This record gives sequence, C-alpha cells and structure tokens, in this order.
Amino acid sequence: MNEIRLLLAGNPNVGKTTLFNSLCGVYQHTGNYPGVTVDIKEGTRKSGDTTLTICDLPGTYSLSAFTPDEQVARDALLTSHPDVVVQIIDSTNIERNLFLTTQLLEIGIPMVIALNMSDLAEQSGISIDADCLSRTIGIPVVSIVASQGRGIEALIASAIAVQGKKTGTCSVQYSQTVTERLTGISTFLQEHTALISGLTPDYAAIRLLEGDENLAHRLHSEDLTIPVIDTCDPAEIDRLIQEIMIARYKTAEQITGCAVSCSIGRVMPTDLLDQVLTHPWFGIPIFLSFMWFAFQLTFSASVPFAAGLEVLFGTMSDSLQGLGLGPTVTSFLSDGVIGGVGTVFSFVPSIFIMFLLLSLLEDSGYLARAAFVMDRLMQSIGLHGRSFIPLLIGFGCNVPAIMATRTLQSRADRIITIISIPFMSCAARLPVYVLLAGIFFGAHAGTVIFFLYVLGILAAIGTALLFRRMVFCDEPSPFIMELPPYRSPTVKAAALHMWHRGREYLQRAGIVIFGGVLVVWILATLPFGVEYGSADSIAGILGHIAEPLFAPLGFTWQLVVGLIFGFIAKEVVVGSLGTLYGGEDSLASSLAADPALGPATALAYMVFVLLYLPCVATLGVIKQEMGSWKWTGIALGWGILVAFVLAFIVKVIGTIILGV
Amino acid sequence: MVPLSFTKAGDRVEVEHICGAGYLSSTLGQLGISVGEELTVIQKANESVIIRIKESRYALGNGAASMVMVKPVKGV
Repeated sequence: MNEIRLLLAGNPNVGKTTLFNSLCGVYQHTGNYPGVTVDIKEGTRKSGDTTLTICDLPGTYSLSAFTPDEQVARDALLTSHPDVVVQIIDSTNIERNLFLTTQLLEIGIPMVIALNMSDLAEQSGISIDADCLSRTIGIPVVSIVASQGRGIEALIASAIAVQGKKTGTCSVQYSQTVTERLTGISTFLQEHTALISGLTPDYAAIRLLEGDENLAHRLHSEDLTIPVIDTCDPAEIDRLIQEIMIARYKTAEQITGCAVSCSIGRVMPTDLLDQVLTHPWFGIPIFLSFMWFAFQLTFSASVPFAAGLEVLFGTMSDSLQGLGLGPTVTSFLSDGVIGGVGTVFSFVPSIFIMFLLLSLLEDSGYLARAAFVMDRLMQSIGLHGRSFIPLLIGFGCNVPAIMATRTLQSRADRIITIISIPFMSCAARLPVYVLLAGIFFGAHAGTVIFFLYVLGILAAIGTALLFRRMVFCDEPSPFIMELPPYRSPTVKAAALHMWHRGREYLQRAGIVIFGGVLVVWILATLPFGVEYGSADSIAGILGHIAEPLFAPLGFTWQLVVGLIFGFIAKEVVVGSLGTLYGGEDSLASSLAADPALGPATALAYMVFVLLYLPCVATLGVIKQEMGSWKWTGIALGWGILVAFVLAFIVKVIGTIILGV
Repeated sequence: MVPLSFTKAGDRVEVEHICGAGYLSSTLGQLGISVGEELTVIQKANESVIIRIKESRYALGNGAASMVMVKPVKGV
C-alpha cells in the first residue's frame, strides 16, 4: 500500500476547498471571498493501491506570510515535507497565481498545477494552452472544474506520478545585485545547514532576504551575523525585496505570455456592478436594504413552516397524555422533550432561511464589496476594513467568525474585532426574537428583529471605538483586499450550504439543547412532590435567587433561568422557556398570558439575550484565538455590562412608550 | 505624480512610487501592485478605491491608497 501526503495550496478564493470537498467526498464551507479557510483541514482518498492524505491549506498570495492564516499555509509548505503539492490556480487570473508558483518552485518540492475554473476562463474568452504551460514550467498541468468534479482523476494520477520527484525547470531570473546578495547569504548558510530546517541554502537565502523572522531568529540565537541581512541598510533590503517581487512577476508574465491568450474587448460585468453596488453614496443604503430585506424574509417566509411544526409538536404532546406512561415520564416527554427541544425545532425554518440568504451573499461575491463599502465607517470606529467579514459571518455563528479574524495582520485589530463579534446576533439568538417579537409586536416583528440586529452592530461599533481609543491607541493597519468576480450563486450550492449549516444547528439541538433542557426539566421537577416548574422547584429557587439582579429589567424568574442556561447555547433560552412555561397551552400563549410580560420587558429581554455572555463554544474559541484568559475575561465582563445597561435603557424608554 | 486616493473612477494610471516599506509595500508587491504597473480605477469612495490590475480587482482603503503614488498613463 502506497501512502502519499498531498497539500492543496494556492491563492485565496481559487477553489481549494471546493477541490478538497470533491477529492475527499466531505463538506467544508466554501464562499466567494478570500479567507474562508483559516486552518488546515485533512481528508483522505483512495486511488488504486494508493492512499492519499489530503490537506487543504489556507490561501496565500506568497510565502512571505503576514497574517496567521498565511503563516499556517507557509509553515505547512516549508516544514511538513509533503510528498506532493497541488497548486490550484484560478484559470481566469493566471498571472497573479503564477507569482506563488515561482516561489513554490524555489522550494524544490514535487508539484502539480490544477487549472481550476477552466470553464469560466473559456466563457471569459481566455484560452489556455495547458501543454505549453506544463512544458514552460516543467511540471504537470491539469485543467479541472472542481465544482463539477471534472479533471479530478487526471489530477490524482499526475500527483501520484510526480510524488517524490523533483519537478520544475523554470526559474526566476533575478538582477545581478540580487543574485550577488543571495549568493553571499547562501555561501554563509552552507556552513550552517543544521539551522535551516532542511531548506536548501539557496532557498533559505531568499527566505532570509524576504524577512523570514523564524529563520533569522534561529541563526541569531547562535550569535551568528548573517551577511546582507545584518550588514545592509534596511532601505537597501527593501529595495532588494521589491526587485525580487518584480522579477517573479516578470517570470509569471513571460509564462502567461506564451501559454495564455485573451480575446480583445471583453466586457467586464463585474466592473459595471461595482460602479453601482460600491457607489460612494448608494453603497451603504444598498447594503442596508439587502440586510433589511433578508430579515423580513427570514421572519415572514418562516411563519407558515413554524406554525405547522408547532401544531405537530402540540399534537404529539396531546397524544402522550393518553398513553398511560405515568406522570413523570409523560411530564418529561411533554414538558421536557417536546416543550424544550420541540420549541427550539419550531424555529428551524427561520434558521434555514437565514443560512440560505447568508450563503447567497457569500457565493455572489458581494460580501467582499460590503467590506469595501463599510471600510470608511470601520476605519472611523477603529476597526480594520477586513474586520467587516468576520463581523458579518457572526450573523451566522460567532465561532467561525472569531476564527476568521486570522485574516487580520495586526494583533490589536484581531483583539478589537474578537471582542466586538459576540454582539453580532448569531442565528441561535433568532428563535428568541422570532418568539417574543411575534407575540408582542405582531405585524412589526420583522422591523423589531431588524432593530435588534442594528443594535448589535451599534454595540460592536461602540466597543471597537472604545477599545481603539482607550486601549490600542494606534491606527488600524492599511486595508487591502482582493475583490472576487461576481458569480451567480447556484441553487444547488446555496441549498447545500444551507443544509450543512442548518444540520449543525439541528445536531446541536439534538445534543447540547437536549442536554440543556433535560437539566432544566430536572431542576423544574425536583424536589419530588412540588408542582412542576413552580417557584418551589430548584429551577424556581435558582431563578428567584437571581431575579433581584434583574428586577430593574422586569424579568420574571423563568426568564432569568432561561438566561442562565442560555450560556450553554443560546438556543437553550427558548428551550428553557418552553420547559418552564410548559403546560396545556403553547409557549406563545403562555408568554402572552403572563401579566408580568409586556412589549417593553420582552424587548429588554431580547436586547439582553442579544448582548450578554457569548455561549460556551464562542468563549472557548475566544480563549483559543486570543491565547489569553485576561482578554477572554474582558470579553465576558464587557458583554454582561453592555447587555445590562442597554437592556435597562430599552426597558425604561419602552415602558414610557409601550407600557410594561 | 499624485496619490492613488486622489484619482477618480475611470482613470488609468501607472504606479510610480510606493511610499513606506515593510508590510504595505510587500503586500502590494505580492498582489502585483508595484512600480511600473498600470491599473484602472473602477470605483472611488471618499479616499478609498477599487482598482483593476490585469485580471484582479483590489479594494484599497484610504491609508493604503494614499501611499501609492501614480501618474496618468500617456495617450489615455
């Protein structure tokens, strides 16, 4: 049995993850914007008697990594000693992609090029001679369409054929000055090969000149003086770096010139769309209109589905009464399982519609434009323009949003963005809004939900502003971002994204939420003999102990218990309410009938749920990404403080306008 | 020679100089935005720009755009 370790490398947004999914028969999230993959994903595939271990790397434009996700890709390419690297190239933009090829060739690892999106290139009038490209570079080149699985078998065959062999006959012609400097460093490194981690002295010399701090640190820790690096003026080194980059692009241009031809006068619909969608005056209103429409649709389109599920669970609950299962089992199934988990499941249609709309936004290429449109605002509040994408992903789930901050270069930008993300209302909070806004605001529910999302954004803005001004007093690093071409989202891809994200939600509903509502049901049942969910139950006692803290906000003890258990996962808030308000009436009817609850209290509760503690999973990833308990604690405490203050303001103003 | 942030949508310009060093010039360089390259300004919003260089499009915030010095392409 032959075993091969294969790395999928390439520029951001060229279809690496789409190819990975196609090769391994798995699902990893994809999207039409740079920075979707920020960590290494691993899968396997068998081909004859060969087992391929395939690693999907984060995208990188070069091996001079500036951001944490680029560093992950660079380290894997330089230090993991793969048997073969497949560089995925966007066929519609070959020259820019070949810049990375010139660097990969210098490492001297076996390589294959996969020309992805060759169908789109054809449609755009770009003609690529793959054989000529292969002869010029000296490595196999295979045309593929990863999204349709075309060319995959040929690609695998090429990868297996070149494993362990030296490939690449093309090299970059550096200027005489650069060559002399590189030779000087390389000669010095030949005496210290143990310190260059298996790299060739020639390539290590390039790495050093391009500012590889790890390599320089290793040599400096041995008290060595590196020629050129330690002896030249920094301005001279910058000039050399620029010369290296220009030489690489010239090589890429020469290769492209002999293998690629374009029909003249191609229409650029992307440019036309950009002139409208990123217009300095209309850009922000267009973006806000999209978002408002999305929330309206999420609420209104899900109503009939949710009503159907509610009837279904109500019927199931009623039918349990006649089965003679005994009062405890019947209460557990009716109040706990159906009242808790069933209530959460009723909001699955809203979640699915929300994910569908988010997928359409991601796949169209508009997301990156939205980052540009919002850049000035982001800069003025102390956030990096690129922070906008993690913040927007936060509408789906805060966990991947926080991981997406790895695309930010500066640590200060990352910390400020991470602290702001939990204020972006994730899909798990949506059931609380749909439930309470539906009961207390009727026809205006969609607008109320939109208001909550805007409030979350404003809280994130305020947080960023405060932390940038008070803690990190530097300016955000410059905003530079690639804008992908617009693409028509396919129904299949959007439905697939919706299904996979929705399935994650359903799995959580089945495990975490079930566990959460089970605990709530037990606490609402014990001690034996008390009325279920009464003030004498443990849940009641717990809620009453914490209730005075929330007295200024007007929350009942049931609402307080919901908040406590919402820390496990925000979906548990509705599950807990479903369990605690369990009875013959539906949850909506029970809440509507509670005299302590009115529009103002409901709105304050929604605001509190929006802003308070992030869930356990989010907190875990905040700790992981910040690497600091101090900052994790600050994120936690800040959320509670903001939630309490804003919910109180909403309660006071709401009471004046709306009553209780 | 003017900063890229001073151009307007539709302008076709050539990069003449990139101010500063380190992160900014290296990031721009790896994207192909280096001295001598021609680019088209697709959109201008305040001092931020969207540019097209060959088949790629990039958004540059005002900080980055003000560091790229350009001159009009002759004959355009």
